[in-house]
Amino acid sequence: MSLARSRAIALIAASPLLARCGSKNGSVRVGSKNFTESFVLAEIYAQALEAAGLRVDRRFNLGSTQIALAAMARGDIDLYPEYTGTALIDVLHLPPEQDPKAVYATVAREFARKYDLTWLRPSPMNDSQALATTKAIAARERIATLSDLAPKASALRLATIQEFLSRPDGLSVLQRVYGGFRFADVKTYDIALKYQALTSGKADVASAFTTDGAIATDELVVLRDDKGAWAPYNVAPVVRTATLKTYPSVARLLDAVSPRITDAAAQRMNAAVESGHRDPADVAAEFLAGKTG
Amino acid sequence: MSYFLDHPARVGSLTLAHVELVAVALIAACAIALPLGLLAARRPALSGWLLGALGALYTIPSLALLALLVEAAGLGPAPIVVALVLYAQFMLARNVVAGITGVDRAQVDAARGLGMSPSQILVRVEIPQALPVMIGGVRVAAIASIAIATLGGYVGAGGLGVLIFNGLTLHQPSMIVAGSLAASILAIVADGLLRLAERSARAALA
Amino acid sequence: MSETAIRFAGATVRYAGADRAAIDGVTFDVAAGETVVLLGPSGCGKSTLLRTVNRLVALDAGRVEFYGSDVATLDAVELRRHIGYAIQAVGLFAHMTVAQNVAVVPELLGWERDAVRTRVDELLELVRLDPVRYRNRRPRALSGGEAQRVGVARALAAKPRALLMDEPFGAVDALVRADLQRELLRIVRELKTTTLFVTHDVAEALRLADRIVVMRDGGIEQVAAPDDLLERPATAYVHDLLHAGDLPRRA
Repeated sequence: MSLARSRAIALIAASPLLARCGSKNGSVRVGSKNFTESFVLAEIYAQALEAAGLRVDRRFNLGSTQIALAAMARGDIDLYPEYTGTALIDVLHLPPEQDPKAVYATVAREFARKYDLTWLRPSPMNDSQALATTKAIAARERIATLSDLAPKASALRLATIQEFLSRPDGLSVLQRVYGGFRFADVKTYDIALKYQALTSGKADVASAFTTDGAIATDELVVLRDDKGAWAPYNVAPVVRTATLKTYPSVARLLDAVSPRITDAAAQRMNAAVESGHRDPADVAAEFLAGKTG
Repeated sequence: MSYFLDHPARVGSLTLAHVELVAVALIAACAIALPLGLLAARRPALSGWLLGALGALYTIPSLALLALLVEAAGLGPAPIVVALVLYAQFMLARNVVAGITGVDRAQVDAARGLGMSPSQILVRVEIPQALPVMIGGVRVAAIASIAIATLGGYVGAGGLGVLIFNGLTLHQPSMIVAGSLAASILAIVADGLLRLAERSARAALA
Repeated sequence: MSETAIRFAGATVRYAGADRAAIDGVTFDVAAGETVVLLGPSGCGKSTLLRTVNRLVALDAGRVEFYGSDVATLDAVELRRHIGYAIQAVGLFAHMTVAQNVAVVPELLGWERDAVRTRVDELLELVRLDPVRYRNRRPRALSGGEAQRVGVARALAAKPRALLMDEPFGAVDALVRADLQRELLRIVRELKTTTLFVTHDVAEALRLADRIVVMRDGGIEQVAAPDDLLERPATAYVHDLLHAGDLPRRA
């Protein structure tokens, strides 16, 4: 094959990907953080858009909140699922509030003002942070609320993930609001392994999220946040305002889906992925088809 | 194994995306390595230095290089394609040099004496004769690129790495297996095809 | 008779790092249609001198003229397309067929497809290789003698005004060599091509040359026709050179 002809073929072959590399238009880039629920929600959003004929580029597994927001700022992704509580405390560094509507209003206003990001309609699902323990330990130590646990923590071992220790609305907010919470031992685990530590007796308390599939069992009990240290964590799609201008239908499409994501639906989907080992894409597809929640 | 069998369309489309990443990177890499290698072949003093520098580039851990490129180029295919192009240089340029310098000197002398211009000698005599060795370089670079491109799953570039990294995050070993298996099959196919190309280029010289 | 095809005037070439010049002030003429053989031991400068004609080697001093023009003023690539060049290693292009090899220079000169094809067959016949059997052969499939014949055909393809040959028959056995020498004589006489031929083989020189230039250490010992050289060697060196082995009588 002559040199000229091979060069021509190379250019033609390269053009589609180069075009995609260069332009930010042509597809909506949906991101997710690096845990199961984020994958499932992002898939729900992605598939809802694809069903309406939009081209979606999935950029999942983006690590922490910080990384996801940096990607939004740089324009590497157009939207991702974020929690109102996380945004309030972790990103805006404001004190926690209890009223879900107030929290949503605050974060929506501030994100629009500071970052040119729009919060779409929130879901009823409240994936709050929590501490869980086994029924046995709860009975033994007589703890049902976080106030009960605070002083007793010094005799107990905590299994958690790194983000819980470093985020301002993690362990530190409990210590501030309740006092105490100086655990005898703190070990970090991979996000999906920490419940195993609890159930296998390697730890006494585990940090949790209220929609985790694993805690919907008879063995574990979630301790009540009686002093309201944690804000509500309703999830909503956070979209670059610029993207909404290019794709105005995004708002309508996702707003149609969000109200259907309830606590129960979320928990069921998370369990399907975590213990059922199912593909988040399949679980999301079933949800959208009306087979879940 | 089950993911691979249950989601053939997904694995298929990710494989296609993976092929696209590697193909674009290899084409761009060849376009750079060919003139670079030719320059080095013409200037032996330069070639030692150049190949040394490219070799040093090759030893940079891919994740580290990728992280730096993401800082510069953001997420998506761009950082991984750039990383692949940089890594491939070493294997490609080295084989261009070996191929060109390995061409029979008598044929080059005859070509010159008969009245071919330097570029005609290059295109009509040197490159055709160096082709088997150069294709061998592409083959090695292709296999390495297929492997390294799996890191694309880490930076939102798509491709089979998505299965591997998602599988890691979601604790679904069968996803990881699916991604790795597909990548291995891709590498074997690429190796086979390029070996055929190498063989036919060699046959053209016989 | 007799235009000067090639003129060497004080041709000098110095390679970097050598104690003496490779060729030093060489002066002689080659008439059109003549076959001149440069004869001498290895290192005497004969190949270097040959290669100054088609500018594969650049002069450090002096001048080489090709049909009246100083070669330094001509475009080197264009010049070479009008001078045939055949070397000991032949250098047939391994990725091309015999026909494609022979067609190289005519194609470089932009000849018409049909003209090239005809010319290739003509030349293969000239060097006594049946075009039908040899046209599509690969160089790998040729014997030493066959390859050298193709080399000669390739050198003559574009009807060059002169033919430069650098020990072309040095790598084949004695029987094949004798055969090729006979063929070359016939071809050169038929085409009346000006030929400059380099060899270290005295017998070959005596057989092929109209005139022989005996070279030593970059300079000329003697220029004479073979008979004159044998009967009246100018120096003891020439005498010893000629008598250092069996001498065939010129036929």
